[in-house]
Amino acid sequence: MADKHDGDERFTGHGAEWRDSNLSQEDAQVATAWVEQKIDRRSMLTNKDRVEDVRDIMWQLEKDGEIVVHRIKDEHNPVVVKTLFGWDKKIPTNQLWHHKSCGQCGNIPGYPTSLLWLMNEMGIEYLDETDQTSCTAWNYHGSGIGNMVSLAAVFLRNFHQAYMSAKAMGLPEGHFYPLVHCGTSFGNYKEVRGYLLHSAELREQVKNILGKLGRLVDGKLLIPEEIVHYSEWVHVMRGEIAKRQVVDTSKIRATIHPACHVYKMVPEDVVYDNDVLGGNRVAVSTGIMEALGTNVIDYSTWYDCCGFGFRHIISEREFTRSYAIDRKIKVAVEEANSDIMIGHDTGCITTLDKNQWIGKAVGKDYELPVMADCQFAALVCGADPFKIVQLHWHASPVEKLLAKLGIDWDEKKAGFEAYLKEVEAGNQENLYDPRKRITSGPGYKRIEQK
Amino acid sequence: MSHSHSSRVQKHIGDPISEKPAVDQEFLEEIFNDIQSDFRFDHELNGCLNCGICTATCPAAHYYDFSPREMVQLLWTENLEGIYDAMQEKIWACAQCYTCAARCPFKNSPGGLIMLMRETAIKHGMESAKSVLRPFSRVMLKLISTGNQLAPDMITPDHFPDWGPNISKVDAPLKLLRKAIPMATLNTTATAWEVNLKTSIELYTIWEETGVLDQLETIDENLFDVIVDIMDEKREDLEDWEDEQEDENDE
Amino acid sequence: MTKPILVVGGGPAGLAAAHSLSALGKKVVLVEKEDKLGGAPILSGYAKLVPSGEWAKDAIGGMVKRVEDSKMIDVRLSTTVSELSGDTGNFTAKLSSGDEVNAAATVMCTGFTHFDSVNKPEWGFGTHQDVVTTTQVEQMISSGKGVRCPSDDRKPKRVAILLCVGSRDRQIGREWCSKICCSVSANIAMEIREELPDCHVYIYYMDIRTFGLLETKYYWKSQEEFKVKYIKARIAEVTSNGEQLIVKGEDTLVKRPITIPFDMVVHAVGMDPNVDNRVLSESFDVDLEPHGFIDRADSYGVVGATSRDGVFVAGSATGPETIDDSIAQGKAAAMSALECIQATK
Repeated sequence: MADKHDGDERFTGHGAEWRDSNLSQEDAQVATAWVEQKIDRRSMLTNKDRVEDVRDIMWQLEKDGEIVVHRIKDEHNPVVVKTLFGWDKKIPTNQLWHHKSCGQCGNIPGYPTSLLWLMNEMGIEYLDETDQTSCTAWNYHGSGIGNMVSLAAVFLRNFHQAYMSAKAMGLPEGHFYPLVHCGTSFGNYKEVRGYLLHSAELREQVKNILGKLGRLVDGKLLIPEEIVHYSEWVHVMRGEIAKRQVVDTSKIRATIHPACHVYKMVPEDVVYDNDVLGGNRVAVSTGIMEALGTNVIDYSTWYDCCGFGFRHIISEREFTRSYAIDRKIKVAVEEANSDIMIGHDTGCITTLDKNQWIGKAVGKDYELPVMADCQFAALVCGADPFKIVQLHWHASPVEKLLAKLGIDWDEKKAGFEAYLKEVEAGNQENLYDPRKRITSGPGYKRIEQK
Repeated sequence: MSHSHSSRVQKHIGDPISEKPAVDQEFLEEIFNDIQSDFRFDHELNGCLNCGICTATCPAAHYYDFSPREMVQLLWTENLEGIYDAMQEKIWACAQCYTCAARCPFKNSPGGLIMLMRETAIKHGMESAKSVLRPFSRVMLKLISTGNQLAPDMITPDHFPDWGPNISKVDAPLKLLRKAIPMATLNTTATAWEVNLKTSIELYTIWEETGVLDQLETIDENLFDVIVDIMDEKREDLEDWEDEQEDENDE
Repeated sequence: MTKPILVVGGGPAGLAAAHSLSALGKKVVLVEKEDKLGGAPILSGYAKLVPSGEWAKDAIGGMVKRVEDSKMIDVRLSTTVSELSGDTGNFTAKLSSGDEVNAAATVMCTGFTHFDSVNKPEWGFGTHQDVVTTTQVEQMISSGKGVRCPSDDRKPKRVAILLCVGSRDRQIGREWCSKICCSVSANIAMEIREELPDCHVYIYYMDIRTFGLLETKYYWKSQEEFKVKYIKARIAEVTSNGEQLIVKGEDTLVKRPITIPFDMVVHAVGMDPNVDNRVLSESFDVDLEPHGFIDRADSYGVVGATSRDGVFVAGSATGPETIDDSIAQGKAAAMSALECIQATK
């Protein structure tokens, strides 16, 4: 910093007793060196004596023969990322089992289709199947119906199916690794995993139930090595995705809404990247948006939740829409002059997207397009805004964003309406062979591998 | 992990000038014991010195007379009447974002404690739980009978008039729009994705085994009856299919 | 007895130990990893010390000079100890310079490391330029530059000091109280008010621990004379609206969440164990206590004893410590070292 403080600007606040310490330039540098030592910024926390890493308990339980761990193997092409405290987390990038989100599939279908489309573009092997349930955590947090045992049983049932699923195609178990689409599921599963690893009593209760369902491996509970969110996959693939970009985004000012259940629940497991926001905030979504060349702009309510509230979006709507409009949308528009708000979770995107329209009634018409990171990524990599990105389900003015990106909404819409006629005639397109979706039970037919 | 009841609960100190009719002391103790006997309780409440970081960052505190710090204090000081009062309404204000838990220097989880209080309110069939959950029954019916919490046919302008006049910006029947989604599992309208029959039965077994159906019966008997009928039918369907398979194999 | 006593670390504790031993006619080898003596108060550019009110450069500077001028003390700057072998009366220390020192006893005064605020990202340090640490404010004052917002050099009109940054926080595995930050913050608050009388200074706290006599000199004085405002609230997040810093807290008295704009936010950073403690623990073969500081084996019998006979410890190497107490501990450990040498004769 240039010294503008000579002459009368000189600090004289301490009266006669004050003496200049005359720190030389070098001394001053030494004095602040500790602040600049950012090479291993969270070095003090890599010491696991200080903050517990539940994965250590998991490995011990595996060693003791109590559980089986679904491992991320080389065939899953894992990429290692750093988490909040500088620990490693393996993100598998291939052979993925899509653990879908009910809110996305029901409400924002372009969310999963964009993700699968990106995977097709990159030749990633995956399975999207019918033998899976919601995590049930939306209902639990909203209503209180459910309990730790039921949540744990649902978690382990779904992940057991992910482990076994490839057998339907004659492939070995463990072939596919689960990729969790929903932030609520991601947070819930991680919290449940922690309780399962800590409590022998809970393990015993859940083991009884999974035994009845035939969902044990060698009579043991199956625990995944990592619980992985799709946004983490997008983050580690951001370079590869950006290579496929066909639309220029350098004029786009983006704001990020980070999801509470993604980065506040079990925070030690969340991806922080020194190259993204200086490693000071969760890296997912910001990482991909920067890789795609948009300008990610900060705003003062970045840490705030969206207002979803689980039950509030259903039955306390005044809270949800007030919070979404006043504390997120308005701030992003007025402070950051944002062209788009990007999220990475089901509930947030629903809340922020759907609750803007009503604002018009009280003169709060901020018109901020809202979508998921993977939808934006697919869009600028050339995916059809209707057929793939399914933007017609979004209530926020996504048309505005498309215009700015130079994509003709009306033309694409007309193309989609023509496509709907084809669908009516039974000629719909699919991102994968639809027969694969059933892996057992009614409707299952073995598909021979090439 | 949990403390014994007798050592934990002290003789209650009520509000001497309150005009409210006193709730039976034994009932208050039972409620508190239900909350604190959950194995999560001692993970989620380690101490509190009223620093207020939880309320500072609480979205619900901005709009309701609700403070996570107050909830934690009621539990920490074992204020049985206060806990009971909070369970009448306040606990339902929490938005379950868990920002409080991410911030608390003691590593308490006020949001997690709220869930223990909500579970307890349901267990005792408290009126607050019943009325609060009435609008949620559609979600529960869907979830418990199909394994999905949300479905396309639940989102209509009738149910969400404040979301605008159009659920889709392309005017076409829901069924056709869903068929046009290029994921075969999503060509559905009554569930978010196509859920395997066997899968929904497995989930229903989990509900039975974990006491979730009992919770539901306490809160909404009609909904419970409807669900039991639906699931009985589904079980029969699966059994029929399994019998067919055996027949085929025998042939 | 001609073997010197090895003192490791040239901060307040090490300077006191070395001086005491030399004054009693003992030879001392003082090893300091930095290229100058004085420890944190000098290296980090502290301004006026608590509670004396003397400038660090004068107070600690005097201690440095006394040691530098002593013929009994052999000062080795920019040097570390890589291995310490042997027993009481006959230790051999291998130094990073390649030299070896044969010593009768060892006193570790290896100090602490300031908490690095980037480990608490939601409080904005590293993201927003005008979020600074108490150490940086000390430097602004001691350098004569005055308290200014780093982003544009303006004089702040509203300053928030957040206490317990890196202290008393289980989220990041730092359960200890750093002891000095409450008093240091009150001191800084008064200094800011003195330099910038139009600037409002708020201290956000969970507890105020201006222990002992510091209560009148800092806690009361800062309020009565300097009108520093104390608010019982732990801040949740620090963000920016592009113009000012935005601080989110709860007014715990009225039980409502509040959002307050500030020009500058100061982190009262705590005292971490020395980042090198794991290495030190191995090269000196001494145990660490659970928080990562050097373990004191005995509180009452042998003051400053570590888990290894003949190796003593003093100052903030053992846990958060004030400068005054570090000096006293340095003298006490020196006395323990002499006692043990005497006993092995």
